[in-house]
Amino acid sequence: MLNLKEVYFRHKNQTTDVLKGISFNAEKGSITTILGPNGSGKTTLFKCITGLWKYYKGEIKVDRVSIDKLSFKKRARLFSVVPQEHEPPFPYSVFDVVLMGRASYIGVFSSPSKKDYEKAETALKTVGIEHLKNIPYTKISGGERQLTLIARAIVQESPVMLLDEPISHLDFRNQINILKKIKEIALIRGITVVMTLHDPNLASLFSDKVVVINSGSKVAEGLPKEIITEDLIKRVYDIEVKKADIDGQSIICPVL
Amino acid sequence: MKTIKAILILLSPIFVGWFALFLGAYEVTPLMVLKILLNETLHIFEIGDIPEKAIVIDIRLPRVILAGIVGACLSGAGVTLQGIFRNPLVDPFILGISAGAAFGCAITIGFLSNIPIQFMAFVFAVSAVVIAYTVARTQGEVSRLPLILSGVIVSAFFTALVSIVKFLVDPHKLQSIVYWLIGSFSLADWKAVKVSFVGVILGILPIFLMRWRLNVMSMGEEEAKALGVNVLRERVLFIGFSTLAVAVATSLCGIIGWVGLMVPHLVRMLTGPDHKTLVPLSFAAGASFMIAADTISRTLTSFDIPVGIITALTGAPFFIYLMKRSGKEAWGK
Ligand SMILES: Nc1ncnc2c1ncn2[C@@H]1O[C@H](COP(=O)(O)OP(=O)(O)OP(=O)(O)O)[C@@H](O)[C@H]1O
Ligand SMILES: [Mg+2]
Repeated sequence: MLNLKEVYFRHKNQTTDVLKGISFNAEKGSITTILGPNGSGKTTLFKCITGLWKYYKGEIKVDRVSIDKLSFKKRARLFSVVPQEHEPPFPYSVFDVVLMGRASYIGVFSSPSKKDYEKAETALKTVGIEHLKNIPYTKISGGERQLTLIARAIVQESPVMLLDEPISHLDFRNQINILKKIKEIALIRGITVVMTLHDPNLASLFSDKVVVINSGSKVAEGLPKEIITEDLIKRVYDIEVKKADIDGQSIICPVL
Repeated sequence: MKTIKAILILLSPIFVGWFALFLGAYEVTPLMVLKILLNETLHIFEIGDIPEKAIVIDIRLPRVILAGIVGACLSGAGVTLQGIFRNPLVDPFILGISAGAAFGCAITIGFLSNIPIQFMAFVFAVSAVVIAYTVARTQGEVSRLPLILSGVIVSAFFTALVSIVKFLVDPHKLQSIVYWLIGSFSLADWKAVKVSFVGVILGILPIFLMRWRLNVMSMGEEEAKALGVNVLRERVLFIGFSTLAVAVATSLCGIIGWVGLMVPHLVRMLTGPDHKTLVPLSFAAGASFMIAADTISRTLTSFDIPVGIITALTGAPFFIYLMKRSGKEAWGK
């Protein structure tokens, strides 16, 4: 579905590459999680995929079609993005924020139609936040915001959904709830999900595939239980861990 | 509740305009105003050539309509600029657009009397906003404080240019430049009303059609792009249309500040931030506000106080209030 081949990126006026030839595939209806330390290039990778930043070498394809020269409108119909942090300047209602996901389908000189409104309503129901519909987005909790943005990504109806640290500000219960929701959406709607996480345990619990990157290079790619090993964590994060099994689920635990 | 408020705001120009027609130095009863208007439009009864008729039809009515249209143009431009710059503290006056337009008008009055004044006003208004925007833009984002500062700089620059023009022109023309710069509707006539419709058709109408995009644009450049918006193109369109509206307004009645800042805020407080309703309601509320301010300016004393003074007297305290209320976040990114 989504294929990256040898993607290189560097900032203007810099001499070192931030991305040093990243390649991986993400399959339809599955969750691919990017794992890597702070500053390893995860957000940069997402910005290259969405076209906000231009990679200087390599290729990104969706369904075997290169996306290099697509307009933002066409890109938005391929990728929906759930951004990392986010504060709108005006207190729009949750519903208004979700409706914005329809922007790429609405002409410059027109407004959302009845159909767009219905789609936004349905998406609110899908993620289970109908009750927040008229509440200002600035007055809801972090978890509720994340759900709103996921609903917005759903109304975009794009085959690929990109989520940058979707659970970074959430409590334990909300982390699990959001990840469950994402998994459900990927399965039911056949959406290709690519997300970044920091917790290797949650990554292996919820993803079909894990791609580990470290300072701009791919270190490992594959099934979570196969590649998340004591050795890999030691190499990438430089901390000692022990791997254990609980009911067939492998768990990584730091050794103090 | 919101719907009722919205309907009241939409209808307010009619009520305010109605009051404006019978208030004034020469007393005309409200009933007489109605009779005269009905007579003019439907020709139902004969009222003869009474002086009230000339006052209402030839003097007050064009003035009220012009004030309404200028108010709508200025607050429409204000709401648009606040949206695309994600900055609740800007309006055409603060960004220097009005000063740019004023300079275009001043050189036309002073030296280039064969060029349409609106054209020159537009050219320099666009230059002003482009400069203010370029100066404030760093690394693809326009933060709030730098934008206001660069607006102040641009405004000061064009005001200085206007002063040079005033210094150079002959005294006869100087008087008309000075009088017109203050911002007043005292010269309103039907011809001015006709010209103002250019602002409505080329400025207000496109903004009205594009209004929902302002929601998306106000989320910031990166997010709007990710949602599929051609940010650069739409920013150019929005700036172009709002500048056109301001240029036409300024060419007709000089610089009138603060309306574009205050009105969108008041409407946002009453009916919410969604631009789908905010934009048309700002047009209507801007019209009412300007008609009311103009009526006050011509009835408060025995002579016409320039309306720009009235709006500045209310606008400056309002700006301070906003600044204090929104505190630190108003200056942030
Ligand atoms: N504007 C810039 N100019 C130069 N280098 C930059 C710039 N922005 C980011 N970088 C560098 O790019 C690298 C990758 O940053 P990126 O934000 O992609 O990391 P990340 O993996 O998302 O980190 P985190 O887990 O903290 O979100 C960092 O080392 C950073 O120093
Ligand atoms: Mg990041």
